[in-house]
Amino acid sequence: MVREVSESCLDSLLTEVVSCYCNRFYPNKHDLAARRIEAIGYQVGHQLSERYTMERPRFNDHLEAIKFICKDFWLELFKKHVDNLRTNHRGTFVLQDNKFCWLARMSIDPLADSGKSPEDITSPTAGNKATHAMKMHLYFPCGILRGFLTNLGILCAVSADILTLPTCAFTIRIKA
Amino acid sequence: MIVCVAVVGHQNNPLYIQSFTEADDALKLHHIVHCSLDVVDERVNNPKKSGPLLNETFLGLLYPIENFKVYGYLTNTKVKFILVTTDLDVKDADVRNFFRRFHAAYVDAVSNPFHVPGKKITSRTFAERVSTIVKSFGLTSAV
Repeated sequence: MVREVSESCLDSLLTEVVSCYCNRFYPNKHDLAARRIEAIGYQVGHQLSERYTMERPRFNDHLEAIKFICKDFWLELFKKHVDNLRTNHRGTFVLQDNKFCWLARMSIDPLADSGKSPEDITSPTAGNKATHAMKMHLYFPCGILRGFLTNLGILCAVSADILTLPTCAFTIRIKA
Repeated sequence: MIVCVAVVGHQNNPLYIQSFTEADDALKLHHIVHCSLDVVDERVNNPKKSGPLLNETFLGLLYPIENFKVYGYLTNTKVKFILVTTDLDVKDADVRNFFRRFHAAYVDAVSNPFHVPGKKITSRTFAERVSTIVKSFGLTSAV
């Protein structure tokens, strides 16, 4: 019996989780909120790794595990492959997704939550606030990746950057 | 007849041990499962060329002891499943089939948000599913 989940419900849930943790539970303590969101993602990734690696034989090395993430895992979660994978062959991998599903419907409104005049749009703070708000949404997928890899025995640190909406890049640093 | 099934975590911590005989030899079965962990490690680290493929999950017959046979299975997440049986003529396909269904039940049990990874599996649904799988072991091959 295959059960299905509504994508828009999941999108709304994730948006609300980030909003709740940032504004209600830990207002002004964004680091703490980020860590909690990442921990939620960690547990989800942990459990997903059991399910999605069920059918296949064991991985030979880290590169195979990362390639599995780029193709099969991303396909299961977001219905597409990772668009670009780069590595320095020394334990750092960068996964780039050109249309990341959970950022795809976000936009930046430079005049939001301020009565500033249009000249101030070019000020660095307005852009920074928006980018900062979007970065909070990336902690959850970072946690998923970290949980997934840790359950396979690969300890790592995962961080994310937004290049231009909706392209984003996840950097995985494997601890030797 | 299956005597015992066990799930062991990646730090060799027991996650689930269940015996299916009426005899009160739980200790002996625990001991057998514990000894088989060494064999699993050895199989994975020193693969025999003529043995199973290097990265297969199903490890096959680990070793016979007394009148028991012990089969092993290692998942991608380094979780080991151990099966102890007293059957004399066990088909390979049957055991693989068993482990496949057992793996599916395990994945569902671990996906429970109230399950703490690393702690024992306490789900009643999992226990029921396992006993169903155990009961139907070997029966389908009679067709």
